[in-house]
Amino acid sequence: MPVLLAGIVFSGVLRAATQGMAGIAGQREAIGVKRAMRTRLIGALLPTGPVRGKLVGEDLHVAIDDVEAYEGLVARFGPLKLAAVLSPLLIAFVVGFASWVSALIMIVTLLPFGVGMAFAGLAGKAEAERQLLALSRLSGLFVDRVATLPVVLAFGAEDRVTRQIGEAAREVAERTMQVLRIAFLSSAVLEFFAALSVALVAVYCGFSLLGLLPFPAPEALTLGRAFFALALAPEFYLGMRRMAAAYHDKQQGEAAEASVTEALKQAGARPGPSAMPMMPVRSLAAEHLEVTYADGNRIGPFRAEWQGPGLHALTGATGAGKSSLLHALIGMAPALSGVVKLNGEEVAPASLAGMIGWAGQRPLLLPGTLGENLLLGAGDEGADVLSLLDACGLSDLVGQRGLDLVIDPRGSGLSGGERRRIGLVRAIASGRPILLLDEPTADLDGETARRVGDLLEAVARDRLVIAATHDPALVSRCASVVGL
Amino acid sequence: MIAQLLHDASRRQRRATWVAILLAMLAAVAGVGLLAVSGWFLTGAAIAGASGIAAARGFNYLLPSAGIRAFAVIRTLGRYGERLFSHRAAFFALADVRPALFARLAAAEPGMVFSRPSGEVAAQLGSDVDALEDAVVRRVTLPGALAGAATGLVAGILAGPWSAVALLVGLAAMRLASRGLSARLVTAHVQRRADAMTRLKAGYAEYAACGAEIAVYRLVPRIVDAMAADVDDLEAARLAIVRHEAVVQGAQMVLAAFTVAAVLALANGGAPLAAAAALAGAAAAEAWSGLVRTDMQRPRVDDAMERLEDMASLQPRPPHHDDIVRLAAEPVSFSSGEREVVLEPAGRLLIGGPSGAGKSRLLGTLLGLREDAPQRIHVGTIEVRELGLESLRRLFASAPQDAALIAGTVADNLRLARPGVTDAEIWDALETACLAETVRALPQGLDQWLGGDGARLSGGQRKRLSLARALLAGRPWLVLDEPSEGLDSATERQLAANLSAWLDRTGTGLILVSHREGLRGLAASTFAL
Repeated sequence: MPVLLAGIVFSGVLRAATQGMAGIAGQREAIGVKRAMRTRLIGALLPTGPVRGKLVGEDLHVAIDDVEAYEGLVARFGPLKLAAVLSPLLIAFVVGFASWVSALIMIVTLLPFGVGMAFAGLAGKAEAERQLLALSRLSGLFVDRVATLPVVLAFGAEDRVTRQIGEAAREVAERTMQVLRIAFLSSAVLEFFAALSVALVAVYCGFSLLGLLPFPAPEALTLGRAFFALALAPEFYLGMRRMAAAYHDKQQGEAAEASVTEALKQAGARPGPSAMPMMPVRSLAAEHLEVTYADGNRIGPFRAEWQGPGLHALTGATGAGKSSLLHALIGMAPALSGVVKLNGEEVAPASLAGMIGWAGQRPLLLPGTLGENLLLGAGDEGADVLSLLDACGLSDLVGQRGLDLVIDPRGSGLSGGERRRIGLVRAIASGRPILLLDEPTADLDGETARRVGDLLEAVARDRLVIAATHDPALVSRCASVVGL
Repeated sequence: MIAQLLHDASRRQRRATWVAILLAMLAAVAGVGLLAVSGWFLTGAAIAGASGIAAARGFNYLLPSAGIRAFAVIRTLGRYGERLFSHRAAFFALADVRPALFARLAAAEPGMVFSRPSGEVAAQLGSDVDALEDAVVRRVTLPGALAGAATGLVAGILAGPWSAVALLVGLAAMRLASRGLSARLVTAHVQRRADAMTRLKAGYAEYAACGAEIAVYRLVPRIVDAMAADVDDLEAARLAIVRHEAVVQGAQMVLAAFTVAAVLALANGGAPLAAAAALAGAAAAEAWSGLVRTDMQRPRVDDAMERLEDMASLQPRPPHHDDIVRLAAEPVSFSSGEREVVLEPAGRLLIGGPSGAGKSRLLGTLLGLREDAPQRIHVGTIEVRELGLESLRRLFASAPQDAALIAGTVADNLRLARPGVTDAEIWDALETACLAETVRALPQGLDQWLGGDGARLSGGQRKRLSLARALLAGRPWLVLDEPSEGLDSATERQLAANLSAWLDRTGTGLILVSHREGLRGLAASTFAL
């Protein structure tokens, strides 16, 4: 009796220690895997979001939530999977010493169990993927509707948007239940066989001890041996039951992995920018450049040639594709065909990235100071941003708040025109030989626009500057005008 | 407030919740019964078998072996049903909580709404609401665990009072250990992880909007750096949680082992009953330790509740003015210091001034979306800040400078203007905004999916779609901020002519901000900042 009691206590302590250590080891492993995965996703998704036509919220879900969902597969399901294969064999082997018939009963119940599990697993995979898709759409919807709340409120459309969110949320709940129904069914199959194996072992041992077996007793059983077999019977399926409890981790993890792989594949379809040596730019040309969107919409083909240095305008009716052409020149467009030539030689558009200073419609702001933000594109920090700020009429901003002004990345406190000019100063300060500017004088009053025009003319004395613009004053300063 | 929202949502699922509770109790009783009867049957059979053939023949084996089979089936079906119904109740309750929260947010004062980063709010509607799942499932876990423990105690009493006492003490110790350790070890880290997660998402949402710059200036490493602190925090907190969970769960296993040993050591009344009590004790302890999950989730739930409370308890905006029709017929006046411009109904005003003079701020204040313009604006005799968004949005239809579009189709965006917009009205507005041809040329026309923030349209097209939306709203005043920015001059002339005719036809007033000559002619007077 004392040995039995000590054994019970000892096994409890041993189990607690080993399970705890397994959990911690699994988590450590997962942290490394997640970190690498997240860094890869940020690198692949952030610079290509618009190219793939994804909502910010959808990308966010992949880069953050899917990576978290993947954790369970590595940290919990992985170790349990191995344990689930080995532990029944080990238990059956040990039980075999006490009662080989009991061991046989356990192993026989495995066969129908395996068939049931395989069936449930196959059905579950597709459901889990559908659920993840609905979930990522819902997340995208939340981000979008919250971001566009000013418009929604201004038109009093919040009731309709709320209804839409409710419908999307219920759809996700429905899909989640479909995934869980299968997961629960497979655990039910598992539990049924676990219970069956305990019941069969108990009944066999009981009748054997009574001497009432309807067939000749295959082995001589004592109470101790019988009890040993019965006590271990639930353990036979425990490894698999724990694995089944982590089944949700597996489904979520695999679906997350599939979604991450798909996102990386889409992002990777764009050729990676190979570093091109910096060279003086004598000309840049686009021939038969054509952008095709996923829905078959087409922009182009474009034809243009710009001589450097000089200031050039890109004009054209709205929607003719000025922004698209600028993006296409650096390879940031879906399904791009045609040729880009630098100094007369064909180059991969994405490889031009390192020679381009870019100022778009909505410049990036990173947490940090105004000065740091202005120098984001600069290889060295020697650029004279103060005189550039002055030249485009931002000296008031600096005078008031200084270069050390801490930037709120949401850009609050800066007007649209100020933010635009921060992007412009950043592009000029980058020292890149080609500047691509999208509407550099939009949102500016006439006087400020004139000063920005002066600055661009000065910059264009030794660089190739291409500006998409509608501003006739800016167009009149340009050496060439390409109309689309 | 969030507790109330959750309560209301759960009430709608109460039938599923009750079924789940019933099944959970049934499954727990059957689980403990299965092991107890098995132990009793086995030991009893061994003793009877050892006492000779007569005793063996007299041993009633039919009832226990039938009981074993019945318990096995009940436990399996009970657990399956419990899981299904409890999760059903939880997920559908939470699916109702999300729109309810969004509605609270959208009904609050604009200043309270726009001070929240959108990524953060989205994370709250998503993962914070997810975290409440356990608060709903918990209602089912506790009755199940109690039923299992009670069954174990009954088996204990059969083996003598001291066995039952040992089990009771053991189960109590397990609860104390779980609650004490969970609260002390896990809470802070759960909070830390959630905070890191929120910051990470908010950051990502902000950077994602600037793909071209990130590509050109190779800013990915900078952004990975900018996010690194939050990532490190997230992972460190996660590891700490796992480590402490191992301690909490390990304590349960050790205590359960001691409990089973004590039940067995203190049992009297014969070997079969001792075996039954010990095995029942083990099963009861296992069912009981299911409560640990609840304890460990509790800080996560509380934390999410706290953050959601902030959103759920937002005060609704004051209602709109009693007499909007009268207000619509009142003049709108702008004043700054001594200067004042009065605009009669259906009048047209240009707001002028250099970049950065605060034109967007003035328009935002006029629309009730912000309050920080230094100028005073009156509708009739009432200052707009007194009227508030509810009244102002019934008076003014705006096409703002950023021309924000929702992710959806062209029609989705236009139908935002007001309920019950017809297709004919939509095409009419698109013609006026010089966009009908463009939309007709889209592969799916009005049903063309635009993607996030109208990503498929050029800047000028977005402006005009936003303008068409404002036209459709049918308000007495039209407020336009640089509507022709990004337009070529021919289209701009056409737009000016269309707008002028539309304003005359509908008797709508115009408040315009524009730097462009082509449109300034629309306005009869100017208010300079």
